[in-house]
Amino acid sequence: MTDVLASRSFRGLATEDAINDVHNDMDSLWLDVPFVNDMDQMTFTTAVIESASNIVQHAEPAAADPVELGVDITVEPLLLQARVSAYNAKPPFGPMEPATPGEDAESGRGLALIQALVTTVTFERQDGTSTWVLSRTSSQD
Amino acid sequence: MEFSYEVKDSYAEVKADGRLNMVSAPKLREFVTDVIAGGSNRIVVNLENTAFMDSSGLGALIGCLKAARQAGGDLRIAAVQPQVKMVLQLTSMDKVLTAYPSVEEAFSND
Repeated sequence: MTDVLASRSFRGLATEDAINDVHNDMDSLWLDVPFVNDMDQMTFTTAVIESASNIVQHAEPAAADPVELGVDITVEPLLLQARVSAYNAKPPFGPMEPATPGEDAESGRGLALIQALVTTVTFERQDGTSTWVLSRTSSQD
Repeated sequence: MEFSYEVKDSYAEVKADGRLNMVSAPKLREFVTDVIAGGSNRIVVNLENTAFMDSSGLGALIGCLKAARQAGGDLRIAAVQPQVKMVLQLTSMDKVLTAYPSVEEAFSND
């Protein structure tokens, strides 16, 4: 049985505005769980925003309906978890493996950065929805 | 995110206040490009009030760095906050975009 101490859920069209909405949700989430240390807050927020941005930038609609972004975040005593989903999106979209861009490259660092920020990243595909599950084991102060 | 700039003696200071993400990254690139086109090719980006940067924002800074160098100058960053410093280190881009403690120190030895 899980012990969810705080959570936030977002769902909306996968547009640029959604990125700031999700970021605002996360800022308010941390106010509910001040015991989560600054490093965990910082790293997890960065990973979630990177993943959501990846969907907004790269997801393509599977049919007539536009792609929607879903972000469901839960905070447990020792675990931060986010399910970042692309609804109505073609499978798969974008590269699934981190790239190693040159130092003057202006893009291509997102997936590697996500992997460096969280403990595990898994991908699920079900009923027309692609979901990245980001988990970070919360560190103890 | 809000941008502003001020031309100093030997460089132009660009302030970027807010979140440097996929929304604001193209705007930073455009803003700095205009500053360079205005005749300043030595740029210091003041990140004192940039609380967040993602890989899109990092890409924009790299693009601005390349633009400044193509114009015969350089771009440096200053007053980097912890989250931005973390992204620079995790991507190893702290070696390319050297962070200076203050705007004044960025070009002080040139």
